[in-house]
Amino acid sequence: MDLSLTPGQQMLRDAARDFLTREYPRKVIREIDETESGFSPELWRQMVDMGWVGMILPEEYGGMGSSFTDLGVLYEEMGAACLSSPHHSSVVLGGLTILEAGNDKQKKKILPSIASGQRILAFALTEPDYGWGPGSVKLAATRKNGHFVLNGTKLFVPDVQVADQILVVARTSSRGSPETGITLFLVDKGTAGLSSRILEGWTGDKLSEVIFNNVEVPASAVVGRVGGGWAPLERVLEKASIAMCAYSVGGMQRLLDISVEYSQNRIAFGVPIGTFQRVQDHVIEIVNDLEAARWTTYEALWKLDERQSDAPLAISMASVIASEGFPHSAEAAHRVHAGIGIDKEYGLYLYTKKARSLQHYLGDPVHHRKQVGRLLGM
Amino acid sequence: MDFKPEYTKEQEEFRKEVRAWVEENARYPEELGPIPLSSGDMSREMWLWGRDFQRKLGAKGWYYPTYPKEYGGGGLSGDKDIIIKEELRRVEHPVAYSMVSMAAPALLVYGTEEQKQRLLKPMLRGEMVAWQAFTEPGAGSDLASLQTRAVRDGDDFIITGEKCFIGGHHEPDVLWAPVMTDPDAPRHMNLGAFVIPANLPGISIRFQNLVIREGKRAVTFEGARVSREYLVGGETQGWRVIQSSLEIEHGGGGSVLPEDDPIVTGALEFCKKTLRNGVPLSSDPAIQKEMVDLYIEANVHRLIGMRNHWMHNNNVPGTYHGSQNSLVGKYTALRSAVKLLNALGPFALTVDPKWGALEGKVEDHQRHTLGSDHRGGTIDVQKVIIARRIGISRTRERAAPTRAQAG
Repeated sequence: MDLSLTPGQQMLRDAARDFLTREYPRKVIREIDETESGFSPELWRQMVDMGWVGMILPEEYGGMGSSFTDLGVLYEEMGAACLSSPHHSSVVLGGLTILEAGNDKQKKKILPSIASGQRILAFALTEPDYGWGPGSVKLAATRKNGHFVLNGTKLFVPDVQVADQILVVARTSSRGSPETGITLFLVDKGTAGLSSRILEGWTGDKLSEVIFNNVEVPASAVVGRVGGGWAPLERVLEKASIAMCAYSVGGMQRLLDISVEYSQNRIAFGVPIGTFQRVQDHVIEIVNDLEAARWTTYEALWKLDERQSDAPLAISMASVIASEGFPHSAEAAHRVHAGIGIDKEYGLYLYTKKARSLQHYLGDPVHHRKQVGRLLGM
Repeated sequence: MDFKPEYTKEQEEFRKEVRAWVEENARYPEELGPIPLSSGDMSREMWLWGRDFQRKLGAKGWYYPTYPKEYGGGGLSGDKDIIIKEELRRVEHPVAYSMVSMAAPALLVYGTEEQKQRLLKPMLRGEMVAWQAFTEPGAGSDLASLQTRAVRDGDDFIITGEKCFIGGHHEPDVLWAPVMTDPDAPRHMNLGAFVIPANLPGISIRFQNLVIREGKRAVTFEGARVSREYLVGGETQGWRVIQSSLEIEHGGGGSVLPEDDPIVTGALEFCKKTLRNGVPLSSDPAIQKEMVDLYIEANVHRLIGMRNHWMHNNNVPGTYHGSQNSLVGKYTALRSAVKLLNALGPFALTVDPKWGALEGKVEDHQRHTLGSDHRGGTIDVQKVIIARRIGISRTRERAAPTRAQAG
């Protein structure tokens, strides 16, 4: 047993932490968050330069062939900084889907440009009938003269505003079980009939509504097999979920750090508020959420890297813990901070906002509990 | 990272060796009767068989595998410790680890070489049963206010007072106890820590009739005369000495819990197999949620214990980690009782052979978990320690030295 990071992972962590602490303090994160696109081309370029964008993809496609634990280490640091970028949409969801489902030609053409950051993908699965299972996919793709015509609405899609293409999970058939009849399409954002708008509000990343109104795409836009999209997608969703668990672990660690610091420095009734056991209770809730998420996440990452058959169970378990723990920790941090917690300049709210968006992203706790139950044979 | 305890050929061979040994030596003789649900209900004959088995384990160095060989341990890695514990779990036997694990770290850090040979060695070899005797009727969470007195008389100490909620099955060989040596000294500087032979005149032990049946006892000292050679550390250094015990008792050494906790997997099977109005209990979403959370929380506790076990055996310094393991374990235990009750209803509350869930194991669990909220320090005490170690409390403290740092 060895629960330590490898020297390479420690280097990755230290480099990421140094860089993000130096260049992306909460003030800068807030400034990016307050722009219309929520996207910093400068940050994206830096992420490419540091090798973060390609790392999870195989070397033959311009990546680094890193392990999922490596990815987890990086995501933990990104979470600590509360970073927003299209990394997850474009590389993890988009890139891995192309890798799992795409044909050779698609992989060779698309993956290197994803790895180099030149091509950005958005990933569109959820719809007004919100849910992350195959049964919630209704957007219709019908054949017409060797082409496909897409009609429907995708909702709460991150990163559409910065994407070049959208990976669309669509339904080509309604017969049989919900899994059959799911087909994946890679659609240029500029295609006629496709429109999108950002949903304003208190979301962790910019989320959009994307309307497909007779969007005609060639058969070459299909990724993988017509009607065979769900099986590869399910594997990608597992990986995408556990990456976000690691992100949440980083977020919780930072919530703990700033809550501890505030408890030590904020004086009330003549003493630091951390000396009050009521306040200590809030901090302890965070440290318990954090460690539960950390170790379920890293065990799942390890099982994934080792290709163990029960990795999906471990991933769903970690997802329950992280998707509940991050928003709960944020709330506990607000209890510690009281008024200053809602001050925009202080920036605690960035984590709260992010945690609440991640709570349901890739499946809410109810969804993941159902997965655990199913995998336990219930 | 690697979460499995063995990854080398040598360790795989070791597992085979342990398995073969366990198969041969841990076979509990059926003529001694069925092993009871509560360890406190173990018969004397059963307990003696267990003691004998402990000695065999100790002779191999497998009773306390990670302790130094020269003091009766196995000198083995944390990984091999896990392998031994996993293999022992494969066979049903009535062996309960005594409270040796609490006295040993303090003896290792503060004992003289002579004491290590005379006291630590037989403990680690499974020959000497030690009970931790800390709590008193008036000193639980506020342990430092304990009142049992040790009065100097030449080279001896005369001990008078009462300890409770200790042990243990049947009887101990020694009692590991902090007692007040200097009533005029300030708090925390007024105690001495003793390994007291349990058979001394003036010591009487009586059974406590509790809801949990772990064989808890109360001990009365009426002028028991103890030689100075049983004092561990300085005469007023006891508070510091017992911190090494508490560090371990509070979970700092970690734990090796199975991935398939018997109560959790048993209850899962029960819910899948039990039909209610013709459909499995587990198809009810509300019950499914209880069972899923039961499963998840047990795994979180397993992982936190594993983290500590790894840290402890690899000299990774901890802060809040020990008490967090304890706290998470307490919450998990208390909540699991509620979840099982929610899922199984009154079937969780009876030991009736016809109707009790899991042959009455759930009923035992309902009672046993009530001990969790205070066993080895209350929930609130663990929180106090965590806050101190995180560095937000009025008092700041670091982890006490244990085997890892001493060894």
